[in-house]
Amino acid sequence: MSTSYPAALGLTGRVLRLLVALNLLMGTFILGLLIASTVAAGPVFTALGVKHPLDDWSFVLAMRAVMVLGLCAIPVTHFVLTRLLAIVDTVRAGDPFVIENAERLQKIAWAVLALSLLNIVVTAVATNASSARNAIDIQWSFDVTRWLAVLLLFVLARVFEHGARMRADLEGTI
Amino acid sequence: MAIIVKLDDLLHARRMTLTELSERVDITLANLSILKTGKARAIRFSTLEAICQALACQPGDLLTHQPDGDTQ
Repeated sequence: MSTSYPAALGLTGRVLRLLVALNLLMGTFILGLLIASTVAAGPVFTALGVKHPLDDWSFVLAMRAVMVLGLCAIPVTHFVLTRLLAIVDTVRAGDPFVIENAERLQKIAWAVLALSLLNIVVTAVATNASSARNAIDIQWSFDVTRWLAVLLLFVLARVFEHGARMRADLEGTI
Repeated sequence: MAIIVKLDDLLHARRMTLTELSERVDITLANLSILKTGKARAIRFSTLEAICQALACQPGDLLTHQPDGDTQ
């Protein structure tokens, strides 16, 4: 198990770097779509499957709102991924029990909480805008795992903080 | 810190160098230096025992408590 550990860490690092790139790519795509939807609303929303977009402006505005909310999620996701990458790098360097990692975990917890709340807002906008003619296919569902992950991150951040402080004490013990 | 380590005084009284003590108690010179300069956060009983044995002294000879605010 100990021999496969560095390999798993290396893989995690590569996956995280890939996710950072994909997230930025997604951000560029959403931004492009938003700009295109303001320049040529009719063709863009028709291509997105909206029926008679020029007659259903409230729906078009709701879709733009979802795009803006999606754009808001990009920097938050980038923040989470880069902090996670920094934690993985400290593990690879052989010194993960540092107070900086506890702070990173706490910031990740807040960011994941923000993403979860953003998800609720997106779902509310989508549900509110959907009608018999046009519908945004985003269903509301209570995801226990997501909220448990937020709680777990806050708890882990505290555990890490405590561990880092204990290690600092141990380091000063002769 | 309120706890003062008097290792320097004890070594001086016994005409012993820190390097010699390091060899006798099997603790690195760097760690003994940290202890001597009062930068250590804690001391193990095993370390205390080894130093007391090497210097033929009591723990009280090595450590002293000086209330905060007092000047030496």
